[in-house]
Amino acid sequence: MLRDVSLVTSSGWVGPASVAFEGGARGSIGVPGTCGCRVGRCELSNLETMANEASKTLGKGSVYPGPVPEGLIRIYSMRFCPYAHRTRLILRAKGIRHEVININLRNKPEWYYTKHPFGQIPVLENSKCQLIYESVIACEYLDDAYPGKKLCPYDPYERARQKMLLDLFYKVPHLTKECLVAMRCGRECTDLKLVLRQEFGKLDEILGYQNTIFFGGDCISMIDYLFWPWFERLDVYGIADCVTHTPALRLWIEAMKQDPAVCALLIDKNIFLGFLNLYFQNDPGAFDYGLSC
Amino acid sequence: MSGGSARSLEKGSAPPGPVLDGVIRVYSMRFCPFAERTRLVLKAKGIPHEVININLKNKPEWFFKKNPFGLVPVLENSQGHLVYESAITCEYLDEVYPGKKLLPEDPYEKACQKMTFELFSKVLTNKKTTFFGGNSLSMIDYLIWPWFERLEGLELTECVDHTPKLKLWMAAMRKDPTVSALLLDVKTYRGFLDLYLQDNLQACDYGL
Repeated sequence: MLRDVSLVTSSGWVGPASVAFEGGARGSIGVPGTCGCRVGRCELSNLETMANEASKTLGKGSVYPGPVPEGLIRIYSMRFCPYAHRTRLILRAKGIRHEVININLRNKPEWYYTKHPFGQIPVLENSKCQLIYESVIACEYLDDAYPGKKLCPYDPYERARQKMLLDLFYKVPHLTKECLVAMRCGRECTDLKLVLRQEFGKLDEILGYQNTIFFGGDCISMIDYLFWPWFERLDVYGIADCVTHTPALRLWIEAMKQDPAVCALLIDKNIFLGFLNLYFQNDPGAFDYGLSC
Repeated sequence: MSGGSARSLEKGSAPPGPVLDGVIRVYSMRFCPFAERTRLVLKAKGIPHEVININLKNKPEWFFKKNPFGLVPVLENSQGHLVYESAITCEYLDEVYPGKKLLPEDPYEKACQKMTFELFSKVLTNKKTTFFGGNSLSMIDYLIWPWFERLEGLELTECVDHTPKLKLWMAAMRKDPTVSALLLDVKTYRGFLDLYLQDNLQACDYGL
């Protein structure tokens, strides 16, 4: 069995990736012009969007993809997971050469538990077989270990401030998920939305008080990327009206959408909805929705 | 430098003045394990500091200006910078002050410490279910219980106020027939501990 890997670098394609896909008589991905899948998919400019889309998930019975080659870092991920999204944003923002292995979260490969004791994502694995998990820890690790633009502030007090800000955000992931589940199951979620609006109100106040566009100042930084995945999902979760009373936050959302890393990883709304439909029907194929490769 | 033996400030007290240059202030409470983390790092790095103890049962109104959550520990410096959350205060001190670095420099080693800390915090906060293994008592609860049972004997139960889920779990555990059948008597345990710490050879038979 051959593995699915999509490879991306900030400077475009480097070397032939490896492999054919399962069951496919397609050529190797990424070598321009030879891929038998959608026309134009392997052009360098489209490679930037392949990393988060192209890989089919690995599930039970799959073969472990082998060690990570030197010069690359691997992320175990899932295209629609907001926590993994954080780490993929940092990889992108810092231009870190990486490969994405998507995991079927409803049907996890047995070998995956050697990467994380509870089989969670995201997990980073490097060529030294070092594993890093917990999305925030993974993001901080990448900023620490890799050169280029530092996403965390240099000043220790500013660093501490960003960590305290993250604490203010801690209820948001749970609340947005509860709203989504409630709505999908035909239940009311007015109370939940009220609490969510309050949490957003706190964040809005901070932006107002700081009088800055982003949470870390006038430039995008780590804290903005750590928040973003849940705001991207407001629309597709059906709770975009939770930011109607938070103008500074709405401005922040618009500013974030201009960021190249955010843009590059923006998930198509229809594909996301397709995923959600299948996910709530407990279809294990949900995680590969929208992939033609 | 006022040490940890100062009486706590409570409701109605005047807010303390600004922090002097060259000193960092920690708002603390003598028995709080979270605040102890910060005091350990201050001590380990030899950082000149002053301690203001807060009466956590009767908090001064001005304290919420230092930390909107009203919890200790909180750091305040002469520039009026405020840092709260015990782990954040500890990392801040390690970054700002010279001397021995307590966190490793290597990015991976640093990440490892954070991952271990996360696991430990999950035990402390037990976010999801009533018991550690789910909604009913199971092996993991029995494996963890003995350490928490001894908190009372060591006068540390005050600070599970920080961790309400843990407080609820301890109460639930005490109701379990197995746990209550084997429950340590606090006085006996303290008696044992006293002798044990003096290396008394009869310590283990205290109370018999």
